[in-house]
Amino acid sequence: MTREEVFTKTHNIFKDIFDDDSLNITDSTNADDIDTWDSLNHINLVNSVEKEFGVKFALGELESLKDVGAMIDLTIKKLSK
Amino acid sequence: MLFNSYEFIFLFLPISFIIYFYLTSKRLITASKGWLIFSSLFFYSWWNIAYLPLILISILFNYSLSKSLIEFKEHNKNYISKKRLLQVGLILNISLLIYFKYMDFFISNTNFVFNSEISLLHLALPLAISFFTLQQIAFLIDSYEGLVEEKNFLDYTIFVIFFPQLIAGPIVHHAEMMPQFSSRWNLVKNYKNISAGLFIFSIGLFKKVVIADAFAQWANLGFTNSATLNLLEAWAASLSYTFQMYFDFSGYTDMAIGAALLFNIKLPQNFNSPYKATGIIDFWQRWHITLTVFIKTYVYTPILRSFSRITFTKAMFATFAAMFISGLWHGAGWNYIVWGSLHGVALVINHHWQKRKIKMNKILAWFITFNFVNVTLIFFKASTLSQAMEVLNNMITGNIVLYHSLDSVLSFLTPFGVHFGTVFTHIGEKPKTLVYIIIAFIIILAFKNSNELTEKFKASKYSLAYIFTLFIVAISMLSNFSEFLYFNF
Repeated sequence: MTREEVFTKTHNIFKDIFDDDSLNITDSTNADDIDTWDSLNHINLVNSVEKEFGVKFALGELESLKDVGAMIDLTIKKLSK
Repeated sequence: MLFNSYEFIFLFLPISFIIYFYLTSKRLITASKGWLIFSSLFFYSWWNIAYLPLILISILFNYSLSKSLIEFKEHNKNYISKKRLLQVGLILNISLLIYFKYMDFFISNTNFVFNSEISLLHLALPLAISFFTLQQIAFLIDSYEGLVEEKNFLDYTIFVIFFPQLIAGPIVHHAEMMPQFSSRWNLVKNYKNISAGLFIFSIGLFKKVVIADAFAQWANLGFTNSATLNLLEAWAASLSYTFQMYFDFSGYTDMAIGAALLFNIKLPQNFNSPYKATGIIDFWQRWHITLTVFIKTYVYTPILRSFSRITFTKAMFATFAAMFISGLWHGAGWNYIVWGSLHGVALVINHHWQKRKIKMNKILAWFITFNFVNVTLIFFKASTLSQAMEVLNNMITGNIVLYHSLDSVLSFLTPFGVHFGTVFTHIGEKPKTLVYIIIAFIIILAFKNSNELTEKFKASKYSLAYIFTLFIVAISMLSNFSEFLYFNF
């Protein structure tokens, strides 16, 4: 899967979780940019990404997923394993 | 050995520093690590050598267990599954903590409920046990989840026992610490780090010795005389404790960060001007940050992820449960449980508030947050629940006593129950208290915090003079060597 494909799918997950079809994200989008990106929605995001791509994040990794880019990079790293 | 003692500042710290960099300059890397471990163990044993075996066994056990978890091969015939292995590790670590920290609490509550007379164990709390247990639990879980690669035993031991963070944090994570201990770049003396380290160490020493220890006397007297406080005294006592807590704990943390920086080790930030917070969620992102991160990662998230469908209500349950556990972690007492629960409830309310997108005036939000923190700290400080209620009660219904000198101007208030006399009799009869409280408010609200200052720090004539002044003032007041509040947790 290319990075663009992962990005598009992740973008859809974001639109779904934050219930906003017009939501735009970039690699540097983080919790400061989206008001409702709190600890609860962070876990919702992680769960949806796991389900979508069939990967599993460890507890110790969640804190490092601070922005969209980090989330996509780690997903790709896990997909290539 | 306390950071705020002559033997630490003038003997232990310089000697451990000089010998460490002498060894690294001779390329004796293993010896230099050995030296760091030896000096940290010496530092730990200074209080009570009896618990030295306990921390060593804990390190050996957790290191071996994590090695088994890392090297675990699923297809081999195993007597025990990987998950079971982790569970055994977690249970043993937590049991050790429960045995030393909570047994007497359970026994006395059992005695109370069943009217039994089981005798208490009266165990001394092994220093640092609450902190090294958390750090090693995180290491075990990460080993189980495949985030830890084969690690060097010396680096692991230093990660747990490195003296700046050993006793009361910041709670460090192996992923941020162990690469620093194994990096060759950190083996050369770095004058920029040394001057920045001395800078933040001096700020911390000043916070502890000059500010926190002054507030400590008034807080202690106020809580001892909790039943007889007048209204202003009750407020002064509780504010004194709130300020003591911040300047003591963040002062300790500054000294830890400074001492570690001498060895080119960067400890994580633990405080970010917490009393500027404008909400309880905000507060916990600024106060004891490394504990918040630990609780969020290893308590809150697993609870929440154990549900099949995550809803707001379940997240709020997990939030409350995490704060309840955090309260209990601080100490074996109902007062800590009440403190944790109150913060849990406040976080839930704050989340509801945020969800409904209700905006509040910033000043009002700060006012509510600060007062909530101040009031809940009364439970944290009080030795019994009734003492906490007495202080709290006097903050609302205590007698209003104002200074003599105001008598002539404000005498018309007498019919409303206002008295005139000496105000702070029950907390030490010092008008200084009021001045300190005002100065403390200015410091916490208007000043940059020590981390912000250290980030911008540049060695110059002025900054050296500044360090020197802080240091000399603090050293000259160093006489009673009072312990840090968080050493009891």
